[in-house]
Parts: sequence; structure tokens; C-alpha cells
Amino acid sequence: MADKPRIRLPKDAKKGDVIQIKTLVSHVMETGLRKDDSGKLIPRKIINAFTCTFNGKPVFSCELEPAIAANPYLQFTARVEESGTFRFSWTDDDGTTITADETITVAG
Amino acid sequence: MKPGVLLAVGFALLGLAASTSRDAAAQTAPPLATDGGAAARPWVRYKGWPERDESKFNTLAKLASPPAPTAPRKLSAPLAGDAATGAKLVADRNRGGSCLACHVMGPAGGADLPGNVGPDLSEIGNAGRDDEWLFNTVYDARVYNPETVMPPWGTHGLFNDEEIGHVVAFLKTLKAPAKFKTVLDDPTKRPPPVETRDNLDSMVNPGMWAVEKAPDLWKTKGPSGSACADCHADPAAFKAWAAGMPKWESRLDKVLGVEEFVTRHAKVTTGHVWLMQSAEDTTLSVYLHNLANGTPIHVDVSSGPAKEAYERGKALSLRKLGQLNFACMDCHSPQKGGLKWIRGQWLGEQKGQYDHFPTWRTSLNDIWDIRKRFQWCQVNIRADELPPDAKEYGDLELYLAAQNEGLKLNVPGIRH
Amino acid sequence: MPLTRRQTLALGAGVLVATVVDLPAWATPSEAGAEIAKFTGGKGAEPGPITIDLPEIAENGNTVPLSIVVDHPMTAERYVSDILVVSDGNPRPGFATFHLTPMSGRAEAATRVRLNTTQNVIVVAKTSDGKFLTAQKQVKVTIGGCGG
Repeated sequence: MADKPRIRLPKDAKKGDVIQIKTLVSHVMETGLRKDDSGKLIPRKIINAFTCTFNGKPVFSCELEPAIAANPYLQFTARVEESGTFRFSWTDDDGTTITADETITVAG
Repeated sequence: MKPGVLLAVGFALLGLAASTSRDAAAQTAPPLATDGGAAARPWVRYKGWPERDESKFNTLAKLASPPAPTAPRKLSAPLAGDAATGAKLVADRNRGGSCLACHVMGPAGGADLPGNVGPDLSEIGNAGRDDEWLFNTVYDARVYNPETVMPPWGTHGLFNDEEIGHVVAFLKTLKAPAKFKTVLDDPTKRPPPVETRDNLDSMVNPGMWAVEKAPDLWKTKGPSGSACADCHADPAAFKAWAAGMPKWESRLDKVLGVEEFVTRHAKVTTGHVWLMQSAEDTTLSVYLHNLANGTPIHVDVSSGPAKEAYERGKALSLRKLGQLNFACMDCHSPQKGGLKWIRGQWLGEQKGQYDHFPTWRTSLNDIWDIRKRFQWCQVNIRADELPPDAKEYGDLELYLAAQNEGLKLNVPGIRH
Repeated sequence: MPLTRRQTLALGAGVLVATVVDLPAWATPSEAGAEIAKFTGGKGAEPGPITIDLPEIAENGNTVPLSIVVDHPMTAERYVSDILVVSDGNPRPGFATFHLTPMSGRAEAATRVRLNTTQNVIVVAKTSDGKFLTAQKQVKVTIGGCGG
């Protein structure tokens, strides 16, 4: 996983709003079905899991398969009742994890 | 001009330009490396691209194709062909896209997204055509229509006589309109694609990541100790430049596009070796075009050499290329195949084909400049491609840019 | 019409898909069915208010935008807890399994997928009270003109 993950969500919201969150991480998502020039199968290497928590509580998560396109894009929603921090994490087949945080200010 | 002299000129300009605005630098012709090529040498086709050697057929650089026959071939005996084999052959994508790329043909290929560059052949079995006519139309339709877009399947060795016999046998069974599974399969009812993606949104278009990376590249010092930023402190000065490219360059006696300009200019001013189609060269081409987004394309085709280049480009766009014998205009002018379907792909016309390059290609997960797009087109119509810095590509690019006069740059694009 | 658990188990995984989700005749009996059976524990899934947003024709199969909206409450008492996405024409049927919570606010998820060929994308949603809802959509994957 090379570049920083890209995350888009509003900087602020009102209590009870349901906001939309867009995430994108740069990753080849190698399926394990492609062959290299010598005819050998290129081993699978994908982001296989993603989690999103808010102030430590689970909001949304998923397991991904090789059929998810390269540079996996995940969009979902969250209802915010208080200000705080979203934490996002992506896990690679090789066990490494990349995380990113985004804060939001919630009024009311 | 010797490279040493040019280098000295480059350094002299560097001294001047470092403390002046870009306007001052623009008064003198920008320094360019005029020795050598701007692309990898020897030119080797990209790995993963079709490996066919098409040296027996025309390219944009040379004529080689066999001549068209002057008269239809007479059949010595009635054709003996197997319709079922013919049905397979017309749908065979290994034979240059298959007949279905251009023709609806009744049940052939499951009537799955056939094209409509050529006439619907679903009822040709009832059209009163004899075996000789059918054979020769497939073998080499030029004997009946010299302006045809139809590939010369026989003359160019794509089908042998026996196979054409099978195809004819199949054609003679076609006596009823095609039955499409969905309205999308019928090319006469299929809606042309409309591009609705926000190509400037980095969440949608990975091509935009080049725009984000470019400022760092701009500031990266090359072997000579300087960077783009040393002369061009404010990239915003380029807010119209790319819209005037490509341009005739008399020092090189060819048309230079943005990519080749960057290669030759960076080499002599910074020492950076950024060959055409390298990651760095493509990134900077995306960046320089993007900086000029919103500016109407306007290329100079008025002066002597530029006008001649334009005329050469126009002639090249009409030259039949490769084993499939297609000219650019066969697919991209509405008088021929433009604004029609090949299989499930829409053929655009020239206007609108240039303003979004370099473009992200979703089918290939990569960002391509216009020269790479030319090369890919050629290889897929079974013609040998030229190196990216070929002067013929410059002529063709100038002609294409002129057809896009007035359209505003919108780079990077995102396309199939 | 939903089958009883005994009936669906008796029919077996491949037929489960064909009967319960009412797939058209050309769907591959499948791996896709097996994935769904694993997800539902063999229970039946009813056609449900699931909107699957996919292009009618994808320009190619490399990256196809997919978005799913389940019209269902997302409260602490009743919510969509999981969404399975599979298809019947890829080398392997799985795409993703989304896990939602009441904090998700809406039962929605979107991503971009790879499609090998024209096929059906099948969505099965599980609710917190143990029900399964399903819907599917066909995507035509464009056959290119001459390799380009």
C-alpha cells in the first residue's frame, strides 16, 4: 500500500445527521488469477478487510474479495450524535494494516 | 546544432530566467535537446500488447500492403462450405474482431452486442446475391467498392478460400431479422454512451493523482543541479500553454506535442532523462494540460511548415493501415464508421477525441498520453505502431488537435 | 414465495439459489448459491426492498461502480446487520460482505467491482431479527470492438 488513503466526509454536522463517507486506498488488488510473462500465476495480494469506528465504537466494516476493483473504493454512511474521531483501517493479505483518522465536529 | 552549444544556451537562459517572469523566457525559443530521440530506443512494443508482426502491411511511416485486386475472382466450382463452421468463424474474435464487430448477423454470436458500422446482414440469404458476389465481397470488397471500409479478409490473409466458403455458406442461411435478448443488444436502439463521471475528482479518477504528484516533480533537481521550478517558479503561468500544443518546431523539423517537448526541454535545462511515456513525462503532461483546463484548444496551422504538417496529418488520417486495412477516418468520421458501434464500443468522431488527453484508461488501470492511444489503435487494427516521437504522429496529432479547435481542455479524462 | 427451512435444505445449495431468489434460466447453479447458503445458514431469502445500482452496460469489466441501498430501518431495535454480494459469472462468486451497525444510519454501501463477463450480481441482506432479503441485477459487460 503506497499513498495515503483518501477519505472524504463533512468537517461538521448536526446531531443525528447521517453523513456519507467515501474512502479510497491505492492498492493493486492482485487477484491471484493473472499470469506473468513466463506463464506463472502472480500470487494474490489484496486488501481483504476494512473497518470504520467512531470514538472507538464500530460503525461499518467489511471483508473484501479479489473481485473488488483495484484501488478499492468504499462508501457508506454514519449517524453522528457527538463530535469525535473516525478511525479507518485497511488490512492487506500480508497482515499489514494501514490506518487513518478523520475528526468531525457535531453541533447540537 | 551540437548538444554542447545547446546546453550552453540552456544554462545562459537559466541564469536569465531564474530572476524573471516566464513572459521573458517566452520571448526566446525554449531550449530543447535536438540530438537523439525522445523515446526508448530501440523501440520495443509494450509487454502485454498483441505481439503480431505486421510489417507486411502499411504503417503511418511506410507503405507495404499488397495492392487491391483489379477484378473479382471467378469461382472455378460451386462453393462447398459448412454453415455451422461459418457461424463460428464470423464470431471469432481472434480474426480481427470478427464480422460481428461491424455487422448484425442474425443469430451469430448469440446476437450479443453486434456492431453496425456495416449493414445488417440478417437477411442477406434472401438478397439475391450469388456465391461469386458473396465470396468476393468477403475476399476483397474493394473490387466492387474501392471506398469500402470492409477489411480485405482474403487479400490480407485473414481468411483462406476454404474459410470464406464456410462464411458464405453461413451467410446464405441468414433469412430473418436478428432476435436480440435485450434492447441493448440492438445497435440501432442502443443509446450512445454519455460521460457523466467527474474526471477531476480524485476519488473517481486516479488520473488526478498525477496532478497531485506533479508539484514535487516540478521541484526535483536533475543531474545538472536545477529543477523546473528554478525557471518556472509559478506553474500558474502555464494556464494556457498546453491548449496551443502541439506546435511545429523548426529546430527539429517536426511537430512537437507536450510530452516530447517536456522530454527535450527537461533534458537540456535540468539534465533529467524523462523519456516519452515514462511515469515522470506522463505526470508532467497531465499537469501541464490540467493547468490549462478551461482554455479553448487553438493550434497554429497557418504558417508554411505547420500548414504542411496539417496536410500531411490529414493524408495520414486517410491512409489504410495494417492487416485490417483501416484508416483513422474509417472509424472516426461520421461519413464512414464514426458515431456507430463496433461490437459494444462506440466510435467517437474526431471532435471530442483530443481535449481530455492524457486520459485515465479504466480497462488498463493506467494513464495514457495521446501518442500511446495512437499506438494502441494501430496495434489493434493489426498495424505496426511507430515510436512515440515519430514525426508522423506529430503530423497526425496536429491535424487531430485542429479538429478540436475551440473545445476546452479537460484533463485528465477518464475513459474505457 | 419463501420456502420452509426444511424444504430449502432438502433442495441443496445450487437449486436453493434458483428457487428462492428466482434466477433466470441461464444463471450458473453454483458456487454463488453455496456462498449464499453459507451466509444464510441454509435459511430462505425473500425478495426485498434492495436497490442495486449498476450500469446496464459496463464499458469494461475492470472497474464497475456498484451501490446498494436496503430500504430498512437502522435503529438499535431493528437494523440491517450484514450484506453479502456475490455474482454468477466470475471465476469466483464472492465480492464483499458488509457489516453494518445501528450507527451506520442507513443500510447503504458502495464500491467498485470487477466483472468477468455479462452476469447477475446478487445481494443478500441479513436483518438483526434474523431475516434474509435478496435482490439481483444483470450487468452487460461490453464486448470491445477490436481489442481496444
